Amino acid sequence: MDPILIKLAKLLPRLEDVEELLDNEVEARYILKKAISFMENCESSKCVDEEEIRYLICALVDRNWERIHTGHFSSVPLNIRKIYAIGCYFKIFFLLLESTDPGQREICSGILDEAQLLGCMEDWSELKISLMQYLDDEKVGASVPLPILMPSTRLQSTCDIPQMEAPSLNEFKTQCFTPRQPTLLLNTIKHWPAMEKWLDLNYLLQIAGNRTVPIEIGSNYASDEWSQQLVKIRDFLQRQFGSEEGSQEIEYLAQHELFSQIPALKKDISIPDYCTISGDDPPGAVDIKAWLGPAGTISPMHYDPKHNLLCQVFGSKKIILAAPEDTDKLYPHDSEFLGNTSQIDAASLDFEKYPLVKEVKFYDLLLQPGDCLYMPPKWWHYVRSEAPSFSVSFWWE
Amino acid sequence: MRRLLFTGFNAFGQHEFVTGDTDSAAGFREINAPLSEQNQCTISVGWRYSALALGRKLYMRGLLEFEPHECVTLEAVDNIKALAAGEAYCLVLLHSGQLYRVSIKIKTELQAVRLEAPPRPNSATKRSIFGTTKAQPGSPIVEHIACGSHMNVAVSSENAVYSIPSCLHQFPGRQFRVKQLECGHEHAVLLSRNGDVYTWGNGLRGQLGQSVLKTEETPHLLEALAGIKITRIAAGGWHSAAISAFGDLYTWGLNCSGQLGIRVMKPGGLLKEPTVYPLPQLHDLPECSCSKNQESSSDDCAPLRVFAGSRHTLLIRRCGGLWVSGWSKYGQLGKRSDRQVEFLDAFQALERIRLSQETDQIICGPWATLLCVES
Repeated sequence: MDPILIKLAKLLPRLEDVEELLDNEVEARYILKKAISFMENCESSKCVDEEEIRYLICALVDRNWERIHTGHFSSVPLNIRKIYAIGCYFKIFFLLLESTDPGQREICSGILDEAQLLGCMEDWSELKISLMQYLDDEKVGASVPLPILMPSTRLQSTCDIPQMEAPSLNEFKTQCFTPRQPTLLLNTIKHWPAMEKWLDLNYLLQIAGNRTVPIEIGSNYASDEWSQQLVKIRDFLQRQFGSEEGSQEIEYLAQHELFSQIPALKKDISIPDYCTISGDDPPGAVDIKAWLGPAGTISPMHYDPKHNLLCQVFGSKKIILAAPEDTDKLYPHDSEFLGNTSQIDAASLDFEKYPLVKEVKFYDLLLQPGDCLYMPPKWWHYVRSEAPSFSVSFWWE
Repeated sequence: MRRLLFTGFNAFGQHEFVTGDTDSAAGFREINAPLSEQNQCTISVGWRYSALALGRKLYMRGLLEFEPHECVTLEAVDNIKALAAGEAYCLVLLHSGQLYRVSIKIKTELQAVRLEAPPRPNSATKRSIFGTTKAQPGSPIVEHIACGSHMNVAVSSENAVYSIPSCLHQFPGRQFRVKQLECGHEHAVLLSRNGDVYTWGNGLRGQLGQSVLKTEETPHLLEALAGIKITRIAAGGWHSAAISAFGDLYTWGLNCSGQLGIRVMKPGGLLKEPTVYPLPQLHDLPECSCSKNQESSSDDCAPLRVFAGSRHTLLIRRCGGLWVSGWSKYGQLGKRSDRQVEFLDAFQALERIRLSQETDQIICGPWATLLCVES
């Protein structure tokens, strides 16, 4: 066995680490016990039943995939997601025992990403990072280099909400947070390394190209043509930002926790201090999400339950807001999934179909690089990218 | 002589095969079970174990508690009518209408299930002259059972629907009869004798056949099929299927592994996934090979019965042909002569298998298919 693999295998969970997880998990207990003892004895070349255990591990992964996809994701017990992640680690090792050629590594890297998306890997981050490094050994280069975007100069535009130039924490608290006043915070993230680094799309390709992420296809998630797909960031970047001008469908890397998936990218941003202001004491966790796409991506009029700081790294976004008080006049969808989404097209209002909309007060603004938009909970917002755009949002209670 | 033929996931010795002759058609293998003409045989296939009943005897095999190939034999007080192999326990319904459950472990027993009484139709409770309420009639007589990973359902002879043990719903009217009850992981489908389909449970993946994705606590008439007389239904993990008296097949729900048998292509040739079909989709099935050989109308090969596992679907056509679609990674769909793929996204015939539409049965486990055939 490859010495590097042997070293990596030492990072795999031991039986005593997982015992607690397996209390009422008959099949996971039986299968993981076998797999753990197999890997422990692997070095001493006493490997027996490799084929059978590999088959059982695959079945464990598939079985827990089904359990994760049953019911609401938020109500899936954490131990199921942990067992899924552990199963994926072992599955990767069995695949690498077969072969370590680039094709196989790519398959493994895809499994690792899926474990990241569905499973819970918190307890094994050292293994995750080492494995990721091992699998990404070869550098990703684009066959044709991706463009380096030009830093854009500030455009004059109307803004229907208050604007503040990088307010202090106290100003933010008294003038925005406490009165729940949506505000455009100008030049607040100018110091982020991301502001310069990410303009070079080849840098993003280098760091993140091999990762698989969920991509939304179609310009608007509430439309019937919309779908979601797991793709490699490098394919997404090539298709949406490469030199080839095509009749490509619009793809949007939206609402994804990219920074916990790729810790190296997190170094380029920092959580704004504003997020420490909270009704809760101590403040709760901050959800950080990435929003990357070409010009023309649309998030239809919708609201989120938490405080939201939307920070613009490059490109600009046209945003239309409406207050929570107008919810009844915004025609939310009936379904459980789209209950927070309006049926109206905020960019071209149809008063005939939605007459109550006439009474709604809308607020227009343009979000530009270096700026953040503060949105209090339940404020409605419509967002459209005017150019290739990368935003980072911070949600907190 | 009846034979049980199996294909699918069997890593825990859920099924013991007949030794020697293993060359059954299309990858199916014969199960070693003491079948006889006298005893009715009932089977339910769980993920890690199988349950088989012969007369009053119940046999459970598989990974019950510690190791594969574990085996438990129990005896009920009466002949067993139906089984439903759930995750934590197996439901056992006796011919008398009494319901029991068995925990899945080595030392186990049949425990009577006490169902809550359904609410009386009129709220005025009859009282005796002494002011106490009249004693409720005894435990309901159960006629149908089904279970999934998040659901355990029973229907009584008086048309009360239970999410065991509580009563969810009471179908009104003496004429109403339940013909078939099936459960997916988290949804239930019920077919009445007059051909109406009712669904309830979690519908966030389109399982319920309604245009709006949501959870329904109680049975709702499937509007999209109202007015069409349905004769058979099936519930897979997150999908459902129905066949009408006209011989039309409908499927709806999640199509992540081709289980709906609907091939979806995007303009670029890319497969669109994962896809949810909330409304029943009418199928235009490929022509059967037998219709080419002889003079026959397409009616002779119309779909007759449909069955579903977690992510696969099987179809018996009037001619006896077995057609399959969906996930096949663990051999759920048997072996075909063409190269082995992880899933089929459109219905294909399993050559070399002919079923008798009258007597042959199909039982699907989550990742398995079992044929009960007369040979």
